[in-house]
Amino acid sequence: MNQPKKLLIIDDDPDFVEGIKAILESANYSVDVAYNPKDGLKALSTLAYDMLLLDIMMGRGAEGIMIARKMRKDAKLRQIPVLIITGIREQMAFLFPGEPVHPRFVEVDELVEKPVEPQLLLDKVSALLKAAESKKDQAE
Amino acid sequence: MSSRPTFSEEIANLLHAAHGNPIRLCMQCGTCAGTCPSAPFMDHTPRRLIAMINANMKDEVLASNTYWYCASCFHCTVRCPCDIDIAGLMYALKRYSMWKGQHQPELIGPVFSETFVKTVFRSGRSYEPILATTYLFSFGLQDFITEAQAATTMMLKGRLPLLPPRIKRLKNFRRMIGRVIPVGGLE
Repeated sequence: MNQPKKLLIIDDDPDFVEGIKAILESANYSVDVAYNPKDGLKALSTLAYDMLLLDIMMGRGAEGIMIARKMRKDAKLRQIPVLIITGIREQMAFLFPGEPVHPRFVEVDELVEKPVEPQLLLDKVSALLKAAESKKDQAE
Repeated sequence: MSSRPTFSEEIANLLHAAHGNPIRLCMQCGTCAGTCPSAPFMDHTPRRLIAMINANMKDEVLASNTYWYCASCFHCTVRCPCDIDIAGLMYALKRYSMWKGQHQPELIGPVFSETFVKTVFRSGRSYEPILATTYLFSFGLQDFITEAQAATTMMLKGRLPLLPPRIKRLKNFRRMIGRVIPVGGLE
Protein backbone atom coordinates (compact mmCIF):
# COMPACT_ATOMS: atom_id res chain seq x y z
CA MET A 1 0.00 0.00 0.00
CA ASN A 2 1.34 3.41 -0.95
CA GLN A 3 1.90 6.09 1.63
CA PRO A 4 -0.85 8.74 1.46
CA LYS A 5 0.33 11.85 -0.38
CA LYS A 6 1.14 14.78 1.89
CA LEU A 7 -0.57 18.03 0.97
CA LEU A 8 -0.15 21.47 2.50
CA ILE A 9 -2.88 24.12 2.44
CA ILE A 10 -1.89 27.76 2.95
CA ASP A 11 -5.08 29.76 3.31
CA ASP A 12 -6.27 32.29 5.88
CA ASP A 13 -9.97 31.46 5.66
CA PRO A 14 -10.75 28.83 8.33
CA ASP A 15 -14.21 28.02 6.92
CA PHE A 16 -12.89 27.33 3.44
CA VAL A 17 -9.95 25.33 4.79
CA GLU A 18 -12.26 23.15 6.85
CA GLY A 19 -14.28 22.36 3.75
CA ILE A 20 -11.48 21.40 1.38
CA LYS A 21 -9.57 19.62 4.14
CA ALA A 22 -12.56 17.34 4.71
CA ILE A 23 -12.86 16.66 0.97
CA LEU A 24 -9.16 15.86 0.59
CA GLU A 25 -9.01 13.70 3.70
CA SER A 26 -11.97 11.68 2.52
CA ALA A 27 -9.95 10.95 -0.65
CA ASN A 28 -7.16 9.56 1.53
CA TYR A 29 -4.68 12.42 1.40
CA SER A 30 -2.79 13.54 4.46
CA VAL A 31 -3.43 17.27 4.86
CA ASP A 32 -1.56 19.96 6.81
CA VAL A 33 -2.77 23.53 7.15
CA ALA A 34 -1.01 26.85 7.65
CA TYR A 35 -3.25 29.83 8.26
CA ASN A 36 -0.77 32.54 7.39
CA PRO A 37 2.00 32.90 4.81
CA LYS A 38 4.74 32.97 7.42
CA ASP A 39 3.80 29.61 8.97
CA GLY A 40 3.26 28.29 5.46
CA LEU A 41 6.77 29.08 4.30
CA LYS A 42 8.19 27.62 7.49
CA ALA A 43 6.28 24.39 6.98
CA LEU A 44 7.34 24.22 3.33
CA SER A 45 10.99 24.57 4.18
CA THR A 46 11.03 22.18 7.13
CA LEU A 47 8.80 19.32 5.98
CA ALA A 48 8.55 17.51 2.66
CA TYR A 49 5.23 17.90 0.86
CA ASP A 50 3.98 16.36 -2.35
CA MET A 51 1.79 19.31 -3.20
CA LEU A 52 0.79 22.79 -2.12
CA LEU A 53 -2.69 24.32 -2.23
CA LEU A 54 -2.20 28.05 -2.12
CA ASP A 55 -4.51 31.00 -1.54
CA ILE A 56 -3.59 34.37 -3.05
CA MET A 57 -5.30 37.09 -1.06
CA MET A 58 -3.84 36.84 2.44
CA GLY A 59 -2.29 39.18 4.98
CA ARG A 60 -1.61 42.60 3.50
CA GLY A 61 -2.79 41.75 0.01
CA ALA A 62 -1.60 39.27 -2.58
CA GLU A 63 0.84 37.51 -0.23
CA GLY A 64 0.23 34.15 -1.87
CA ILE A 65 2.10 35.57 -4.85
CA MET A 66 5.08 36.27 -2.63
CA ILE A 67 5.15 32.64 -1.49
CA ALA A 68 4.98 31.44 -5.08
CA ARG A 69 7.86 33.73 -6.03
CA LYS A 70 9.99 32.48 -3.15
CA MET A 71 9.23 28.91 -4.20
CA ARG A 72 10.32 29.62 -7.75
CA LYS A 73 13.70 30.84 -6.54
CA ASP A 74 14.30 27.69 -4.48
CA ALA A 75 15.53 24.71 -6.52
CA LYS A 76 13.88 22.17 -4.22
CA LEU A 77 10.59 23.94 -3.66
CA ARG A 78 10.31 24.60 -7.40
CA GLN A 79 9.57 20.89 -7.91
CA ILE A 80 6.44 20.91 -5.74
CA PRO A 81 3.25 21.21 -7.79
CA VAL A 82 1.06 24.12 -6.77
CA LEU A 83 -2.69 24.41 -7.02
CA ILE A 84 -3.71 28.03 -6.62
CA ILE A 85 -7.20 28.28 -5.17
CA THR A 86 -8.28 31.88 -5.10
CA GLY A 87 -11.30 34.10 -4.79
CA ILE A 88 -9.29 36.93 -6.30
CA ARG A 89 -11.74 37.57 -9.11
CA GLU A 90 -14.55 37.94 -6.63
CA GLN A 91 -12.47 39.97 -4.22
CA MET A 92 -10.87 42.28 -6.74
CA ALA A 93 -13.05 41.76 -9.81
CA PHE A 94 -13.58 45.48 -10.15
CA LEU A 95 -9.94 45.76 -11.15
CA PHE A 96 -9.83 43.41 -14.10
CA PRO A 97 -13.17 42.35 -15.49
CA GLY A 98 -12.84 39.41 -17.86
CA GLU A 99 -9.06 39.18 -17.77
CA PRO A 100 -7.25 35.91 -17.12
CA VAL A 101 -5.65 35.75 -13.69
CA HIS A 102 -3.27 32.87 -14.01
CA PRO A 103 0.36 33.78 -13.74
CA ARG A 104 2.70 30.78 -14.00
CA PHE A 105 5.04 30.58 -11.07
CA VAL A 106 6.46 27.09 -10.81
CA GLU A 107 6.86 24.28 -13.33
CA VAL A 108 3.62 22.56 -12.46
CA ASP A 109 0.82 24.79 -11.38
CA GLU A 110 -2.86 25.25 -11.96
CA LEU A 111 -5.48 27.74 -10.87
CA VAL A 112 -9.04 27.18 -9.73
CA GLU A 113 -11.39 29.81 -8.46
CA LYS A 114 -13.35 29.74 -5.23
CA PRO A 115 -15.90 28.32 -4.66
CA VAL A 116 -14.50 25.02 -5.95
CA GLU A 117 -16.49 21.89 -6.76
CA PRO A 118 -15.30 18.90 -4.67
CA GLN A 119 -14.90 16.62 -7.70
CA LEU A 120 -13.05 19.26 -9.70
CA LEU A 121 -10.71 19.80 -6.76
CA LEU A 122 -9.91 16.09 -6.47
CA ASP A 123 -9.42 15.76 -10.22
CA LYS A 124 -7.02 18.70 -10.32
CA VAL A 125 -5.08 17.45 -7.30
CA SER A 126 -4.56 13.97 -8.71
CA ALA A 127 -3.74 15.34 -12.19
CA LEU A 128 -1.12 17.69 -10.76
CA LEU A 129 0.43 14.98 -8.62
CA LYS A 130 0.63 12.73 -11.65
CA ALA A 131 2.14 15.50 -13.81
CA ALA A 132 4.76 16.26 -11.16
CA GLU A 133 5.64 12.58 -10.84
CA SER A 134 6.05 12.04 -14.56
CA LYS A 135 8.24 15.14 -14.73
CA LYS A 136 10.38 13.72 -11.96
CA ASP A 137 10.67 10.39 -13.76
CA GLN A 138 11.73 12.14 -16.95
CA ALA A 139 14.41 14.05 -15.06
CA GLU A 140 15.75 10.81 -13.66
CA MET B 1 -0.73 21.09 12.33
CA SER B 2 -2.38 24.21 13.68
CA SER B 3 -5.94 24.17 14.92
CA ARG B 4 -8.73 26.34 13.57
CA PRO B 5 -7.85 29.98 14.32
CA THR B 6 -10.15 32.18 16.38
CA PHE B 7 -11.33 35.54 15.05
CA SER B 8 -8.60 37.42 16.90
CA GLU B 9 -6.02 35.03 15.44
CA GLU B 10 -7.49 35.56 11.99
CA ILE B 11 -6.99 39.30 12.42
CA ALA B 12 -3.46 38.68 13.72
CA ASN B 13 -2.82 36.61 10.58
CA LEU B 14 -3.90 39.56 8.47
CA LEU B 15 -1.34 41.63 10.31
CA HIS B 16 1.50 39.14 10.45
CA ALA B 17 3.56 41.19 8.02
CA ALA B 18 3.38 44.04 10.53
CA HIS B 19 5.56 41.89 12.81
CA GLY B 20 2.71 40.42 14.76
CA ASN B 21 0.96 43.67 15.61
CA PRO B 22 0.48 43.02 19.32
CA ILE B 23 -3.26 43.70 19.68
CA ARG B 24 -3.36 41.18 22.51
CA LEU B 25 -1.19 43.48 24.60
CA CYS B 26 -3.82 46.26 24.55
CA MET B 27 -4.27 47.50 28.11
CA GLN B 28 -7.42 49.51 27.34
CA CYS B 29 -5.92 52.86 28.31
CA GLY B 30 -8.17 54.64 25.81
CA THR B 31 -5.44 56.88 24.40
CA CYS B 32 -6.49 55.88 20.86
CA ALA B 33 -10.14 56.71 21.50
CA GLY B 34 -9.23 60.01 23.15
CA THR B 35 -6.95 60.93 20.25
CA CYS B 36 -9.16 59.84 17.37
CA PRO B 37 -10.67 62.77 15.43
CA SER B 38 -13.33 60.46 13.94
CA ALA B 39 -14.35 58.84 17.25
CA PRO B 40 -17.60 60.87 17.60
CA PHE B 41 -18.84 59.35 14.31
CA MET B 42 -17.96 55.76 15.20
CA ASP B 43 -20.39 53.36 16.84
CA HIS B 44 -17.54 51.79 18.84
CA THR B 45 -14.33 53.60 19.74
CA PRO B 46 -11.04 52.02 18.61
CA ARG B 47 -10.33 50.98 22.20
CA ARG B 48 -13.61 49.11 22.43
CA LEU B 49 -13.10 47.56 18.99
CA ILE B 50 -9.74 46.11 20.04
CA ALA B 51 -11.35 44.65 23.17
CA MET B 52 -14.10 43.16 20.99
CA ILE B 53 -11.53 41.56 18.67
CA ASN B 54 -9.66 40.09 21.62
CA ALA B 55 -12.99 38.73 22.88
CA ASN B 56 -13.62 37.14 19.44
CA MET B 57 -16.87 39.06 18.89
CA LYS B 58 -16.64 38.62 15.13
CA ASP B 59 -20.18 39.61 14.12
CA GLU B 60 -20.25 42.73 16.28
CA VAL B 61 -16.84 43.83 14.99
CA LEU B 62 -17.76 43.35 11.34
CA ALA B 63 -21.12 45.08 11.79
CA SER B 64 -19.51 48.18 13.29
CA ASN B 65 -18.63 51.23 11.22
CA THR B 66 -15.51 52.07 13.23
CA TYR B 67 -12.88 50.85 10.80
CA TRP B 68 -14.57 52.51 7.82
CA TYR B 69 -14.64 55.86 9.63
CA CYS B 70 -10.91 55.72 10.35
CA ALA B 71 -9.36 58.75 8.63
CA SER B 72 -5.87 57.14 8.65
CA CYS B 73 -4.31 60.05 10.50
CA PHE B 74 -2.16 57.53 12.43
CA HIS B 75 -2.37 59.60 15.61
CA CYS B 76 -3.48 56.52 17.60
CA THR B 77 -0.58 54.47 16.22
CA VAL B 78 1.91 57.16 17.23
CA ARG B 79 0.54 57.55 20.74
CA CYS B 80 -0.21 53.92 21.64
CA PRO B 81 1.92 52.99 24.69
CA CYS B 82 1.79 49.30 23.70
CA ASP B 83 3.09 49.95 20.16
CA ILE B 84 -0.04 48.65 18.49
CA ASP B 85 -0.45 49.86 14.92
CA ILE B 86 -4.13 50.72 15.31
CA ALA B 87 -4.48 52.39 11.91
CA GLY B 88 -2.91 49.27 10.38
CA LEU B 89 -5.47 47.20 12.24
CA MET B 90 -8.27 49.33 10.77
CA TYR B 91 -6.89 48.67 7.28
CA ALA B 92 -6.74 44.94 8.06
CA LEU B 93 -10.42 45.02 9.06
CA LYS B 94 -11.30 46.90 5.88
CA ARG B 95 -9.56 44.22 3.81
CA TYR B 96 -11.15 41.42 5.79
CA SER B 97 -14.67 42.81 5.45
CA MET B 98 -14.27 43.58 1.75
CA TRP B 99 -12.82 40.16 0.92
CA LYS B 100 -15.70 38.51 2.73
CA GLY B 101 -18.30 41.04 1.60
CA GLN B 102 -19.41 41.50 5.21
CA HIS B 103 -19.71 45.15 6.04
CA GLN B 104 -22.56 47.55 6.70
CA PRO B 105 -24.35 47.93 3.36
CA GLU B 106 -24.93 51.70 3.26
CA LEU B 107 -21.33 52.76 3.92
CA ILE B 108 -19.50 55.05 1.51
CA GLY B 109 -16.03 53.73 2.39
CA PRO B 110 -16.04 50.45 0.42
CA VAL B 111 -17.45 52.07 -2.76
CA PHE B 112 -15.01 54.93 -2.40
CA SER B 113 -12.01 52.61 -2.00
CA GLU B 114 -13.06 50.51 -4.94
CA THR B 115 -13.50 53.51 -7.23
CA PHE B 116 -10.27 55.08 -6.04
CA VAL B 117 -8.21 51.97 -6.77
CA LYS B 118 -9.95 51.50 -10.10
CA THR B 119 -9.24 55.07 -11.23
CA VAL B 120 -5.61 54.91 -10.16
CA PHE B 121 -5.23 51.51 -11.78
CA ARG B 122 -6.58 52.74 -15.11
CA SER B 123 -4.95 56.14 -15.47
CA GLY B 124 -2.20 56.19 -12.85
CA ARG B 125 -3.78 59.17 -11.09
CA SER B 126 -6.90 59.81 -9.05
CA TYR B 127 -9.62 61.90 -10.70
CA GLU B 128 -11.93 63.73 -8.32
CA PRO B 129 -14.97 64.30 -10.59
CA ILE B 130 -15.43 60.51 -10.94
CA LEU B 131 -14.52 59.78 -7.34
CA ALA B 132 -16.97 62.30 -5.95
CA THR B 133 -19.92 61.18 -8.03
CA THR B 134 -19.66 57.64 -6.63
CA TYR B 135 -20.81 58.78 -3.22
CA LEU B 136 -22.24 62.26 -3.74
CA PHE B 137 -25.74 61.05 -4.53
CA SER B 138 -26.06 59.10 -1.32
CA PHE B 139 -26.19 62.39 0.61
CA GLY B 140 -29.26 64.60 0.87
CA LEU B 141 -30.02 67.33 -1.68
CA GLN B 142 -28.68 70.10 0.56
CA ASP B 143 -25.28 68.43 0.89
CA PHE B 144 -25.22 67.68 -2.81
CA ILE B 145 -25.74 71.38 -3.69
CA THR B 146 -23.06 72.47 -1.22
CA GLU B 147 -20.59 69.95 -2.67
CA ALA B 148 -21.45 70.94 -6.24
CA GLN B 149 -20.94 74.62 -5.42
CA ALA B 150 -17.56 73.93 -3.84
CA ALA B 151 -16.57 71.83 -6.87
CA THR B 152 -17.61 74.59 -9.31
CA THR B 153 -15.59 77.20 -7.43
CA MET B 154 -12.56 74.91 -7.38
CA MET B 155 -12.93 74.19 -11.07
CA LEU B 156 -13.13 77.92 -11.93
CA LYS B 157 -9.91 78.50 -9.96
CA GLY B 158 -8.25 75.65 -11.83
CA ARG B 159 -7.96 73.44 -8.76
CA LEU B 160 -10.09 70.62 -10.17
CA PRO B 161 -9.14 69.02 -13.48
CA LEU B 162 -11.75 68.83 -16.25
CA LEU B 163 -10.16 65.89 -18.05
CA PRO B 164 -8.78 62.80 -16.31
CA PRO B 165 -5.01 63.21 -15.85
CA ARG B 166 -2.74 60.65 -17.48
CA ILE B 167 0.76 59.70 -16.56
CA LYS B 168 3.69 59.01 -18.83
CA ARG B 169 4.51 55.38 -19.60
CA LEU B 170 1.18 54.02 -18.42
CA LYS B 171 2.11 50.58 -19.74
CA ASN B 172 5.13 50.36 -17.45
CA PHE B 173 2.97 51.43 -14.54
CA ARG B 174 0.44 48.70 -15.29
CA ARG B 175 3.21 46.12 -15.50
CA MET B 176 4.42 47.32 -12.12
CA ILE B 177 0.97 46.83 -10.64
CA GLY B 178 0.84 43.42 -12.30
CA ARG B 179 3.84 42.45 -10.20
CA VAL B 180 1.87 43.21 -7.05
CA ILE B 181 -1.52 41.88 -8.12
CA PRO B 182 -1.62 39.07 -10.66
CA VAL B 183 -3.45 40.52 -13.62
CA GLY B 184 -3.89 39.02 -17.06
CA GLY B 185 -1.09 36.47 -16.65
CA LEU B 186 1.57 39.17 -16.72
CA GLU B 187 3.97 37.28 -14.47
